[in-house]
Amino acid sequence: MTRRRDMAVAFILLLPFLAIYGVAFVYPTIDMVVLSLRKAPLIGAGEWAGLDNYVRLAGDRLFRIATRNTLWFVALTAPASTVLALLLAMGVARLRGWLQAAVLACFFLPFMLPVSVVYLIWHWILDTHFGIAQPIVAAVAGRSVSIFRTVSTFMPGVAFVTVWATVGFSVLLFLAGLRSIPQETSEAARLDGAGRIALFRHVTWPLIWPVTALVLTIQLISHLKVFDIVYLFNLRGRVDETMSLVQYVFRLAFQQNDGGYAATVAVAILVLVAVLSVLQFQLLRSRGQ
Amino acid sequence: MPQVEFEKVGKSFGALAVMRELSFRIEDGEFAVLVGPSGCGKSTLLRMLAGLEEITAGEIRIAGRAVNDLPAKDRDIAMVFQSYALYPHMRVVENMGFSLRLRRAPKAAIAERVGAAARTLGLDRLLERYPRELSGGQRQRVAMGRALVRSPSVFLFDEPLSNLDAKLRVQMRTELRHLHQKLGATTIYVTHDQVEAMTMADRIVMMRDGAIEQVGRPLEIYDRPANHFVAGFIGSPAMNVLPGRIRAGADPAVALDGGGVLPLGHVPSLAPGRAVAVGIRPEHLRPDPDGPLLAEVEVIEPTGAETDLSCRCGGQPLMVALRDRGSYRPGQTLRLAPHAGPVHLFDAETSARLTHPESMIQEYDDDRHETRNG
Repeated sequence: MTRRRDMAVAFILLLPFLAIYGVAFVYPTIDMVVLSLRKAPLIGAGEWAGLDNYVRLAGDRLFRIATRNTLWFVALTAPASTVLALLLAMGVARLRGWLQAAVLACFFLPFMLPVSVVYLIWHWILDTHFGIAQPIVAAVAGRSVSIFRTVSTFMPGVAFVTVWATVGFSVLLFLAGLRSIPQETSEAARLDGAGRIALFRHVTWPLIWPVTALVLTIQLISHLKVFDIVYLFNLRGRVDETMSLVQYVFRLAFQQNDGGYAATVAVAILVLVAVLSVLQFQLLRSRGQ
Repeated sequence: MPQVEFEKVGKSFGALAVMRELSFRIEDGEFAVLVGPSGCGKSTLLRMLAGLEEITAGEIRIAGRAVNDLPAKDRDIAMVFQSYALYPHMRVVENMGFSLRLRRAPKAAIAERVGAAARTLGLDRLLERYPRELSGGQRQRVAMGRALVRSPSVFLFDEPLSNLDAKLRVQMRTELRHLHQKLGATTIYVTHDQVEAMTMADRIVMMRDGAIEQVGRPLEIYDRPANHFVAGFIGSPAMNVLPGRIRAGADPAVALDGGGVLPLGHVPSLAPGRAVAVGIRPEHLRPDPDGPLLAEVEVIEPTGAETDLSCRCGGQPLMVALRDRGSYRPGQTLRLAPHAGPVHLFDAETSARLTHPESMIQEYDDDRHETRNG
């Protein structure tokens, strides 16, 4: 009896969520798949196209470029950001009291900035005429380079800015992971004869592996659907060469009113995210055991 | 040569000194127990010896070598933590062999040492399990096994039994003691449980508020507590303490503030009228129609082996532990005398011990015999 009542209460409590989830997510997702089978504008019925859109996708040069750009972006951000976050977290974990809070706030602050502000800050910092970091670029490259107006440096540049802006969140996750390792476990390892490196390799690293997996997965998913930062940096630039997948969907759907094909690209992203996430999750899980 | 020496060891956090000038030594092969109430600094002291906590004054020596500036990993010390602190991602066999692996011992040697330790502790069948697959008692054993494998110069135990249930605790107590007899390794054991201290120690270091109150063999401390505090901490139920004054007159005696006169043996140096605290252990009181203490029974607690009477004597609480079951009831008044053991005298102000007890038991009992005979 109580079990049935528990179920009823659970259902009532979940109902608002389920309703919104159904209307705002499940239905549009299904509709998107249906739309990808039509030749249709964003609004309006259009006509049935079967797999025409998917055939077009297979031969689409822009789709290929956008996919390559997106994967390149993920490859540049996710691993670097994870390693950096772990290093920073281990540094922050050594600090105590207000100093720790202050340093942590410094790393977290960029995460709270709107993307448009992040864009402006780095747009100015790296500006070819007055950017304060341009001398460094010039010193490395031998000449002044417009990072965001050069196709080869565009993605690394945006990736760098993204890591800067988002690393704070991962630091926070790692810090929580490090704190969940009992102090006595590390102490036991020290008494067992572990120096700093052995302690990290044999104790800390295996114990925060689940957090590492989480951080990597979160980043993989969020960076596969990158849009805003790339969109802002390639405004009035060579968009075709530098755009991301989601940006391509945006352009198809809202600038070219090609709803059917935009939906097709979106389905492709969905599949890509799902496949890569599952793959990575399995990979990380096997590593953790 | 003493295996472990503390010389004027101190610990302070900034201007706050939490430990001052602690000095004591532990002989080779001894089982020493640091005991005291929570917050007395016993665990901190242990951690200072282990190298997990900085020493801010004095010197700690292991086998004659000062270790103040030696990192934990180089002190050749094994420690069993209260939480066991096993490595959750390693199987039992890896947990136990970890220290040897770090020292790059050959695989065969590691397997042999781990195997031997596992047999000693009855862990043979659990070697392939992860800590999460073990019960509390088994984890405890693995933690001990990890220490054992290393054959260190000193074993440290930080309240290792406090997470176990009562029955297992008693069993492990005996096993630990047994293990120590077999290995003969110098051991320092921290606990807040006076029963563990009494039953396991070769030597007890009694601490309070970052200072040492008394160091001695268990029965020495039980028989001759250095002060009021030690008297109350060691022994269960706790020693009764009754305020009184030295009575003037030919026979030395204490006039208790709550009424009654307790004859003492030879107490030469105490001036009449001096305020004292009289300590009598509950198990040393016996009903006696001629006894000097008049007590009213309030609560009766039979434990089977003994009967504890919680009484009131002249407004002061008084515990009596009797070996017989008797027929006592609340409200009953009893006359009691300290028959079975010494009466302890403490200074009322400093709480320090005033007399040696042996003379007093002797003479008090002689007194009684004379009275009876005469």
